[in-house]
Amino acid sequence: MRFLPSASARAADGLSRRDLILLAGGAAAWAVPARSQQPAMPVLGYLGSESPERYASRLAAFREGLAETGYVEGRNLAVEYRWAEGNYQRLPALAKELADRQVVAIVAPGGAEVALAAKSATMTIPIVFEMGGDPIALGVVDSLSQPGGNLTGVSSLSVEVSRKRLEFMAELRRGARLFAIAVNRTSPTANSQIRNLQAAADSLGLQLRQLEASTEQEFEALFASVAQVGAGGLVFTSDPYFAYRSPRLAALAVAHAVPAITQSRDFPIAGGLMSYGGDFLQSHRHTGAYAGRIIKGEKPSQLPVQRVTKVELFINLKAANALGLSVPPSLLSSADFVIE
Amino acid sequence: MPNPPAASRMSLFRKYFLALFAAVVIPLLVAGVGEAWFGYRDQRASLNDLLDAEARAAAAKIQDFMEGIRDQLGWAVLLPWSENADDKRRLDALLVLRQVPPIQSLSLVDASGRERLFVSRIGLNRFESGADRSGNPAVTEARSHRVWYGPVAFQGGSEPFMTMAVAGNRAAAGVAIAEVNLKFIWDVILAIRVGRTGEAFVLDRPGRLIAHPDISLVLRADETATRPLRELRAAILARPGQAIAGQDVTGNTVLAAMAPIGNVGWSVIVKQPLVEAFGPIYAALWRTAALLVAGAILAAALAYWLTHRMTGPIHLLEDGASRIGAGQFDHRINLATGDELERLATRFNEMAGELALSQERSERISRLRRFLAPQVAELIDRTGGDHMLDGRRVEVAVLFCDLRGFTAFSARAEPEAVMGVLGEYYDVLERVVTAHEGTLTNFSGDGAMVLFNAPVPCADPALQALEMAHDMQIDVQKLLAARRAFDHRLGFGVGLAMGLATVGRIGSGGRLDYTAVGNVVNLAARLCSIAGDFEILMDRVAARAVGSRLPLIELDARILKGFDKPIAIFAAVIGDRK
Repeated sequence: MRFLPSASARAADGLSRRDLILLAGGAAAWAVPARSQQPAMPVLGYLGSESPERYASRLAAFREGLAETGYVEGRNLAVEYRWAEGNYQRLPALAKELADRQVVAIVAPGGAEVALAAKSATMTIPIVFEMGGDPIALGVVDSLSQPGGNLTGVSSLSVEVSRKRLEFMAELRRGARLFAIAVNRTSPTANSQIRNLQAAADSLGLQLRQLEASTEQEFEALFASVAQVGAGGLVFTSDPYFAYRSPRLAALAVAHAVPAITQSRDFPIAGGLMSYGGDFLQSHRHTGAYAGRIIKGEKPSQLPVQRVTKVELFINLKAANALGLSVPPSLLSSADFVIE
Repeated sequence: MPNPPAASRMSLFRKYFLALFAAVVIPLLVAGVGEAWFGYRDQRASLNDLLDAEARAAAAKIQDFMEGIRDQLGWAVLLPWSENADDKRRLDALLVLRQVPPIQSLSLVDASGRERLFVSRIGLNRFESGADRSGNPAVTEARSHRVWYGPVAFQGGSEPFMTMAVAGNRAAAGVAIAEVNLKFIWDVILAIRVGRTGEAFVLDRPGRLIAHPDISLVLRADETATRPLRELRAAILARPGQAIAGQDVTGNTVLAAMAPIGNVGWSVIVKQPLVEAFGPIYAALWRTAALLVAGAILAAALAYWLTHRMTGPIHLLEDGASRIGAGQFDHRINLATGDELERLATRFNEMAGELALSQERSERISRLRRFLAPQVAELIDRTGGDHMLDGRRVEVAVLFCDLRGFTAFSARAEPEAVMGVLGEYYDVLERVVTAHEGTLTNFSGDGAMVLFNAPVPCADPALQALEMAHDMQIDVQKLLAARRAFDHRLGFGVGLAMGLATVGRIGSGGRLDYTAVGNVVNLAARLCSIAGDFEILMDRVAARAVGSRLPLIELDARILKGFDKPIAIFAAVIGDRK
């Protein structure tokens, strides 16, 4: 606004009176929304465990959810991002930064680690999480219907369906009795998933061999061990660290000719064999919608934890052919997407 | 010119305003209220129909949803079970799961009630487990009713699920039992829009919220939060077939209608905010209100204009009336409004003219009456003979009279007594002069001068003058006789002469007198001055004119002041003639 009088004065010689009025009117029209919007623009904190590139598809879904409630980043909402770049130990410090920034809410998507880091950073700022695990078992909320505290969010069911991955793998490899499971020991859900899988193996009459990897460097060895132990296939537990590295896992699976199943559709899309897990686009979209509602003033304690309605099975037939496997009709008929 | 009082102007404005306002507003009000009332009734009726239809349509959609699942389950129980494991059924079951996303898990039970197959999206599949399900209500109810819809259960205290069971045509085909995720009804509910912001929700038989556009309200499974919705349903059930106004969970007043979803015993309720539902009526009321305001403004403007049109002429009339009232009879009111006001102005003008005439006349009469008897004055006025007062030379009878000893009396007596005597004396003289139609030219002190034959001619001036002198003597002497008792030594004498004199009015404007000038006047005055108490003296001319009609006595001729020759003097004999 301050430039206006001098601009008018300069223009006064060359411009007609009408032009000046138009100029002033235009400036006023420009000034009004700026004045009314500037102080009202809320700032949302976004805590990511990886990089924006790895989160790209999730971010798109998240923004879609925000838009459902009328918020568009940059127009009526500012978003502060903090990225751990795969170094999950940094999450609590980053969460603290966002809390100190006094953002209106913290969005903590992409797993229990992120949610727990955010929870440790603040007791007052609303937190919207997105995870595959059971938020009650992980101690994030007390109840699904009435979360109670400053947290609410979305569960994608991916952890709960780990056993189904073993089932699908066993269905594909009918003859095999021994299967390897990939576990990230640093994951808060690791133990519950191992128990879950062991129970499933018992009821299916299978044997499990636990393989561990918590860094990218260990992936190579992980795939190499599958053949060494003579396992019929590799079943990944649900873990965001694995999920965000689906292309790398797919490449290794192809290189080592290992039949593998993970939670994320990115895996078969990148050339892996199969995936079974909750629809993360749905869960991230709901996360965005919840964030929008909280910005509008709703209390997280009043927003129940949502669970995705869609758990999807992806099968890459090309990968199956490359591995010399024939996919039985029972599996094909269960698949939501078949990549040919 | 005095200012017109403000109140009259105000009241004129108010009267016009009230009349015009009533003329404009009452029809508007009647029309507006009528429109609103009939609009309300029509809108209410059409909202009843609309909401009812919407509710039925929503119920049909949800029923379709449920029946779609039921039909899919029906495919799984078409054929009888064999004792062996059945790969085909397994595939069918997996296909049903894939085809029907709301089904979370599906189990198939054979004729003997054993579970043959269980497939799930979350849990592990089971095949040929042989578990006994014959006691399961889903199995028993489906067997007796073909289809069974179980109660709604909230998984994890949050997500609504329902068990649905379908039995085959033949008992051998067994029963299909599915866990249905009711969150999928959300898609159906979300697609239902009533008006602009109206929406639908679903309650199960006990009144728990199963579906609502705000899914979190369902997932909260909070019975106290959803109580308004149950109350809404209770109100609708109390008056079936009617849309009911009530509160929704946010406390907004809504209009709601309900339709049952027959097969599951749920209710679909569609609601529309009252503000929106009755929007057209509110609009009509606002329109009416706006028209009323506009009508009031129009009425005020018209009243102001009319008042303004009236007050101009009224001011002129007022001004004219006050001028005329103040005696300005030549004032004329100029109005050319062409209406009653102009006629009124004309009447005013005419009145002013007549007033002017009548005032002129009364002024003239009062002028004449100063020296003429009233009836003579009237006569002169009636004949319009102002010229009679013009100067001319004519033979007149002149009479002088005065009191004897008055100067001494006035010096001795109290002023009140002097004035009292003079007053009574004048009264007597005036009465007598008037009775004899003489012209009383003036009083001065105790004396008076009276003319006959001028300005009004009379047949016998001398005789008339003498008769008057006679009456004067009688009446004045009576007055004096009464006074003499108080020791007032007063007398009364009269002199009378006849001859040519110049008569006419002298003076102008406010002071106007009629008088006579000539020898005869002097003679009469001299005769009066020498006349003693109780005497009437006259000259020869007058005496000759009277002749023998009245008794006269010739006295000795006397030298009078101002006359060269001795004058013959006659005295009248005074006595009661009747």
